[in-house]
Amino acid sequence: MARVVEGESIVSLTVNGEARRGIAEPRLLLADFLRSELGLTGTHVGCEQGVCGSCTIRLDGDLVRACTMFAVQADGASIETVEGLANGDELHPVQQAFHERHGLQCGFCTPGLLLATIDLLERNPDPTEDEIREELSGHVCRCTGYVGVVDAVKEAARKLGGGR
Amino acid sequence: MAATETAHRPYVGQSIPRVEDGKLLRGKGTYVDDVTLPGLLHAAFLRSPFAHAKITRIDTSAAKAHPGVIEVLTGAEITGAYATGLPREEVKANSRPFLPADRVRFVGEAVACVVATSRYVAEDAAELIEVDYEPLPVVTNAEASLAPGAPLLYDDAESNNFAHIEFENGDVDGAFAAADHVFTKTFHHGRFHALPLEGRGIVADWNPGSRELTIWVSNQIPHLTRTLLALDLGIPEQQVRVIAPDVGGGFGLKIHLFPEDAVVVLASKQLGRPVKWIEDRYEALAASLHAKEIICELSIATRADGTFLAMKGRYVGDAGAYAAYPFTPLVDPMCAAVMLPSVYKIDAVRWEVDAAYTNKCPSGAYRGVGWTSGQTARESLIDDIARELEIDPMELRLKNTIPDEPYESATGCRYDGGSFGAAQRKAMELIDYTGFRERQREARAQGRYLGIGFSPFLEPGGWSGDLAKRMGFPFDYMDAASVTVDPTGNVTVTCGLHSHGQAHATTFAQVVADKLGVPIESVRVIEGDTAATAYGTGTFGSRSAVVAYGSIGRAADEVAGKIRQVAGLALEASPDDIELIGGAAVVRGAPDKSLPMIMVGLTAYFGAFVGGRRPQGMDPVLTATRSYEPPESYANGCCVVTVEVDVETGLASVERVGFVDDCGVMLNPMVVEGQIAGAVAQGIGGALYEECPYDADGNYLAGSLLDYLYPSSMEIPQIEIAHIETPSTVTEGGVKGVGEGGTIAAPAAVVNAVADALSPFNVRIESTPLDPNRVRALLRGSTG
Repeated sequence: MARVVEGESIVSLTVNGEARRGIAEPRLLLADFLRSELGLTGTHVGCEQGVCGSCTIRLDGDLVRACTMFAVQADGASIETVEGLANGDELHPVQQAFHERHGLQCGFCTPGLLLATIDLLERNPDPTEDEIREELSGHVCRCTGYVGVVDAVKEAARKLGGGR
Repeated sequence: MAATETAHRPYVGQSIPRVEDGKLLRGKGTYVDDVTLPGLLHAAFLRSPFAHAKITRIDTSAAKAHPGVIEVLTGAEITGAYATGLPREEVKANSRPFLPADRVRFVGEAVACVVATSRYVAEDAAELIEVDYEPLPVVTNAEASLAPGAPLLYDDAESNNFAHIEFENGDVDGAFAAADHVFTKTFHHGRFHALPLEGRGIVADWNPGSRELTIWVSNQIPHLTRTLLALDLGIPEQQVRVIAPDVGGGFGLKIHLFPEDAVVVLASKQLGRPVKWIEDRYEALAASLHAKEIICELSIATRADGTFLAMKGRYVGDAGAYAAYPFTPLVDPMCAAVMLPSVYKIDAVRWEVDAAYTNKCPSGAYRGVGWTSGQTARESLIDDIARELEIDPMELRLKNTIPDEPYESATGCRYDGGSFGAAQRKAMELIDYTGFRERQREARAQGRYLGIGFSPFLEPGGWSGDLAKRMGFPFDYMDAASVTVDPTGNVTVTCGLHSHGQAHATTFAQVVADKLGVPIESVRVIEGDTAATAYGTGTFGSRSAVVAYGSIGRAADEVAGKIRQVAGLALEASPDDIELIGGAAVVRGAPDKSLPMIMVGLTAYFGAFVGGRRPQGMDPVLTATRSYEPPESYANGCCVVTVEVDVETGLASVERVGFVDDCGVMLNPMVVEGQIAGAVAQGIGGALYEECPYDADGNYLAGSLLDYLYPSSMEIPQIEIAHIETPSTVTEGGVKGVGEGGTIAAPAAVVNAVADALSPFNVRIESTPLDPNRVRALLRGSTG
């Protein structure tokens, strides 16, 4: 690991159940820290201002936008990213639903949408289509017109036992 | 899948789930910003705050002295330029400097590049560069740009026009003179943006020892990029490798080369180290490419009963400050003009096209190019005509629609058959047109304004030499594909197309698996790396399914012939009697005599199973590289949209979208429907929400996603899709293009639906997007 220079600090946190450490200057965004310092490039940066939702992760159980938070703020936190969803060869049911229902095309928005969907279905296992659309309205997808995405969330709800 | 099932149920036509999903769902894709290299440096650009100005001084000393800065480059150090032209006498070639030395022409134009140890440092240092500007007069409207006395963007030019092109066929003046009615409309189509969620980006790695350049770039045209960069930067092409890995959306924007690409490559070459540049969202919005802004002046001559006789169109495209490279700013106005007659029978047509420079971001190709803008203008005028003649708009359209057989349009387009009328009737059924009109009447009685709009469309597809030339771009294309059976009997396919969401790894494997009778899991498709793939001109223009079916299909057929020879040798049968089914070569009528593909491979490569007795003179290479340049081809369909307009707030909400699509033989209906849904959403965005606006001084007003409104899941409803499958009469396999139809057709359907909803107010819609402000302005000025 590189040496810490003046103004930088070590950030220690748990990512997908694993203890990780990295160096961050105070202004380093959490998204950049995850990507460049920890090599977790599944978290994508689309707008750097919290609008597009691509960089969505979970931090201590809450959905957050990793582009509008500093890495040093995450010191000691427990983070979930897209890399932690599958269990070996087995996809998470939400990932499987996105696969079956053509819920992704280019894949750039997908990591954020997967985490948002998991979070939604934990809070509301049986959402209506209107609820799905409202919950995901902070996630831009430029490829699917949201048709495959909404279908995938419904299918994921069924797979997880809550859906209609 | 069981062998017999494979034999009897082809993969082509099935909704096979996507092979590419596994890595993307796990966050294991490789987008350009995921690429990192030892010693990697990072670039940031300083951009012009002026729309038009002379640069009188640039001082980079403070930036250069900033800790972590390796180099600062300006137009003094970087002197190259892209030359954009077209081999047509009407076109005056444009030169766009990689970095301007003495003049900027739009807000956001890059004027200097900082290379530093981190992106953060590079951006800090860019702010330390001092630039003195001397503002020049600004022009931001295409018509104003062509008017006498307009400020010239290029001092050595006579006008601001990239090209003026005219076309005429038939007795246009006679038809207009003899007509009972002449209807005219000027429609100013909005300027909007492909805006893929992943912006532009490049990593350039020049190796000073081997003199090899490797670039990773977010791009739809890796081979063309290699060729053009080699020519423009003077690097031998064989020393250049272009990798376009996973790409987070392209939509036509990424078929261009940008000044930043050249600057980053030259920086790497100068420093002998890898350099990365990743566009931020302001740069994407203000300084990549805009699209689709055309001022369309259309006239249609009709008989008293509404029969169309002739059409005239004048299309003034807004090119922005420089010609988009290499496809030129004509992709909007000229494509719009050539498709003026669309599915309607007319005998005479005249069009003229201009592409005017303005002090705005350059304009280039975006899904559906100018077909979108031309479609919106024409279909909006047709609805106006229906209202004025008091004919139902669909009755008027169907009365004038060409038959479903192959047809040559008044502009010379050779339609390869379709369902031109049938698609319209199917759309009317899908939406329950009669039922809607009843509902609309009831709603109006309650003070609610519902509207319906139809948009029958053609989608020129399989973009290649014939189609390019038909649209006015005199070039041929070259698209090759290779199919190789590996020693273990698996199949590797390569081509120069590029998938950035379109599922080529799945759909092309379907084609090859059918041709070779092997399970789809045994076929791997490789794209996006010029060192690993056959040459091709990339993915755009609804071309890939058509081009791939021909090129990959031909190569697979040739390989199938070679497999039959090898298997015939091993099975002691005539090659003509060998069938390829269920992952094996089987003697026809003798299912017990078969050779699995692994044995075919090992026999061909190493003489296994024939005791090393491979005959002399037999070519054991189970590979073929073939190309296909399809004839011009046109998918068709009809989009229908219903809206409700809140006349108090001006908010138009899309209620239902129906989409009838006929793209000929479908490779994978699930993928086709995904393409349609995405394209429709982008069309709705352009019609109602998305705009790249400027003020009169040329300041750009939508520099973040808080100002530029992508439609969200709340604005796009379910999209009800129906298919008609009319095989092309001219392409291999009867395949037609798909991908752009939704963006071509949806805006016109939305505009017509809003106009229909507001018909009690006698408003005339003449521009997009129809955001609440514009709708309220229409209502304020209405006579209804």
